[in-house]
Amino acid sequence: MPLRHRSLALSLAGLATASALLLAGCSADAGPSDTPATPVAGGTLTYATGFGEPTCLDPHVGGNMPQALVGTNVLESLFSQDETGAIVPWLAESGVAAEDGLSWDVTLRDGIAFTDGTPMDAAAVAANVAHMKDPETASSTAILALGKVSSVEVVSPTVARFVLSEPDSALLESLAQTWLAMESPAGLERGMGANCEAPIGTGPFVFSEWVKQDHVTLTRNDDWTSAPAGATHEGPAYLDTIEWRFIPDPATRFAALQSGEVDVIDEMQPDNVVAATADGSGLDVLTGALPGASIRLELNSGYAPFDDESVRKAFIAAADVNPGIQSLFFGTVERSYSVLSSSTPFGASFEDDYAIDADRANQLLDEAGWTSRDSEGYRTKDGERLTVDFPVSTNQSIPAEVSLFEQIQATTKAVGFDVELHPMDLSSWYAALGSWDFDLTSAIYTKNSPDVLRILYDSENIIPAPSGYHPNNAHVSIPELDDAVTAAGQTTDPDERAALYEKAQQLLADGAYVLPLYDHLQKIGYGDRVQGLSLLPTLQIPYFGDTWVSE
Amino acid sequence: MRGGALRGGALRGGALRVGALRVAAALGGAVFVLWAAATLTFFGLRLIPGDPAQAVLGGPGSQASAEALAAVRTEYGFDQPIWVQYLRYLGRLVSGDLGSSYSQRQSVASIIGSQIGGTLLLAVLALTVAWLLALGLAVWSTRGGRVAAAVGSGLEIVAAAVPHFWLATVLVLVFSTTLRWFPAVSTDAPAGLVLPVLTLALPLAGFLGQVMRESVLDALEAPFVLSARARGEGEAGVRWRHVLRHGALPGIALSGWAFGWLISGAVVVETIFARPGLGRTLLNAVQLRDVPLVIGVVLVVAVGYVAMTLLTDVVSRIADPRLAGVRA
Repeated sequence: MPLRHRSLALSLAGLATASALLLAGCSADAGPSDTPATPVAGGTLTYATGFGEPTCLDPHVGGNMPQALVGTNVLESLFSQDETGAIVPWLAESGVAAEDGLSWDVTLRDGIAFTDGTPMDAAAVAANVAHMKDPETASSTAILALGKVSSVEVVSPTVARFVLSEPDSALLESLAQTWLAMESPAGLERGMGANCEAPIGTGPFVFSEWVKQDHVTLTRNDDWTSAPAGATHEGPAYLDTIEWRFIPDPATRFAALQSGEVDVIDEMQPDNVVAATADGSGLDVLTGALPGASIRLELNSGYAPFDDESVRKAFIAAADVNPGIQSLFFGTVERSYSVLSSSTPFGASFEDDYAIDADRANQLLDEAGWTSRDSEGYRTKDGERLTVDFPVSTNQSIPAEVSLFEQIQATTKAVGFDVELHPMDLSSWYAALGSWDFDLTSAIYTKNSPDVLRILYDSENIIPAPSGYHPNNAHVSIPELDDAVTAAGQTTDPDERAALYEKAQQLLADGAYVLPLYDHLQKIGYGDRVQGLSLLPTLQIPYFGDTWVSE
Repeated sequence: MRGGALRGGALRGGALRVGALRVAAALGGAVFVLWAAATLTFFGLRLIPGDPAQAVLGGPGSQASAEALAAVRTEYGFDQPIWVQYLRYLGRLVSGDLGSSYSQRQSVASIIGSQIGGTLLLAVLALTVAWLLALGLAVWSTRGGRVAAAVGSGLEIVAAAVPHFWLATVLVLVFSTTLRWFPAVSTDAPAGLVLPVLTLALPLAGFLGQVMRESVLDALEAPFVLSARARGEGEAGVRWRHVLRHGALPGIALSGWAFGWLISGAVVVETIFARPGLGRTLLNAVQLRDVPLVIGVVLVVAVGYVAMTLLTDVVSRIADPRLAGVRA
């Protein structure tokens, strides 16, 4: 979507108002002690993450959530997004597509430099794209997002032209992700080892120390001038330093927040969210739906028993998830009927397709030939039990979610399904998925664009990547759907995109390939001395450029 | 007299030869243990699902390109038959090279060097605290009286049966969240060490206390205690000089085993209390299928275990002169 300056200014004003309202809302929640305070410069903030420690701080290498979390406050992107998902400026002022859609001219803000003094110009953009596409960099997220980009030409110091092999309506959204952030070309030239330890960006903070398994220290960049659209103040950040700690255990993380050892935590468990939002807890919670796909169960339609549409429909009619979502998550999440996250544009809900009806489930299974039952009450057909293998990644599914899966196991047992849960570590789980050794799975996919529908459900993505990874776990192969998501990825007309994406989601719901559960929420808890904390909507990452601590 | 002197010389020479043989046997045993640990770990990690090439390329689920994967497979030799990879790896180990970590892109030796201190501190403190608790409980609960005996053995059984992860969670809830005495996140400051050390020490004290109390009770009924009492030695002297020494023997023998057990406990404790260390390194490395790092940590732990076993052997001899007399 080409950016026009007038609409941009409007959206900027709207965003500032929205942020101010959001901040006011937070203050009101925090209790009577809060007064509209004036920001104070100085102090250290301690952040404890449960997402894990990156093995490399350069998000071009690999490209996962731990890197994006710690990297966003150091390495800035060409674009950002507002709450509605619309593209807003950051290091770039605008991006305009050529008539044929085969090139985009990205105009950069003038006068921005990396913290090592290297200018952030079009040559730097070209060097970054080349770095991401270089096999030596071993990028997986950035290189995939740049799949349609053939090269970047330097038109002038402030204009970089992205040359594409085919039109890409998601290009600016891709560029907004921290995995495609801009790093100093001089820093990149130090080689992977040095750049992994401390990549150099343009952001409000710089990486100053990394003690493995313990913490990363971010120190304020006093020359910072490149706040993203929507920031509440200009000029350097207030905090002197941020100590970024790694606390893998959720109970310890919350205990450390409660006792004031740390100021901000992520990956809160549902019961902690309830405790932190209670009056007088001295804590508060910031939540945001991660963009991309919702948390959902995917039915492997490529293999028995879910290759039979009736069996899939029977499973979805029997899997009663609403009571479990209410009781296990203490009201912290809402049931979703959409494959797309509520923060991703063009999501469509088809609630009727997910109605619970045990009689209908039984009837569908009878019709599908699963007529007899064994001694344990499970349905059988030709001597085979109606077994559903469900590998569960203990890294991705929190305990409450695993309990929900157990409830699904119980409710579907009533109609004769034998759901077998297999808890696994991440490597084993990816191996099981890669070899199609599953019938049901829940896989997270975070991407700030509805193009995630193409990645997850285009039949092309049944074919595994060289690493064995295939995003299309539901094994969906519908030519109409392929055409819709491909066309939607190429057109920049919003109405046309909406219609195409709705059609794709309708096909998924009608064919009972996916059971949406709820949004994947970023849940950030913070102590009441932390002020001005917000989430950058692009990937719902905590943003510290406007944050200060009151003593 | 001359004959006596000669015989003494021959005896000393024989003792030296026997000593040298015993040292050689102990070294041979140690080398065997290390080889077995490396071999089992190498093949164990290859038998479980997961691709080590992905550890190099940003972890499981990476969508690395074909070129990147091919480059990594060639560079690290993953395209070779597994026995070739094994022999190459063993060859490097023999020359003292632990290799470099797939996931962290640094030498395994430097990673272990930076992480070992914290784990050793934890293990040594936990072992010391466990010993003090076990000795104290053994001496107190054998003072006589059925209640003390029952309380002592009850405490030991409960402590020994408690799993680390449960104990750690309870300690955090009580002493960190509720009382706010100690931090939930461990540091090397004394207050930050209390909860992790207790988590490791309490179950161990239960084990040690059980075996020590048994042997204290045996000793109290032994003839040498009777004769000490007959010589007019007071109760304290009997207990601390004679009984305790006897009672400590099985505890010393168990300490070698306890060291290995503490390291496995460190995996849980370092994760829950967010302490840097070998245990957490090992857990992450296994999850990422980072073979050189896993083997490196396993080897270091095996060396520590062998050293501790030799050390407990020596300490047993000092505490119990009978052992030295019989074997030397």
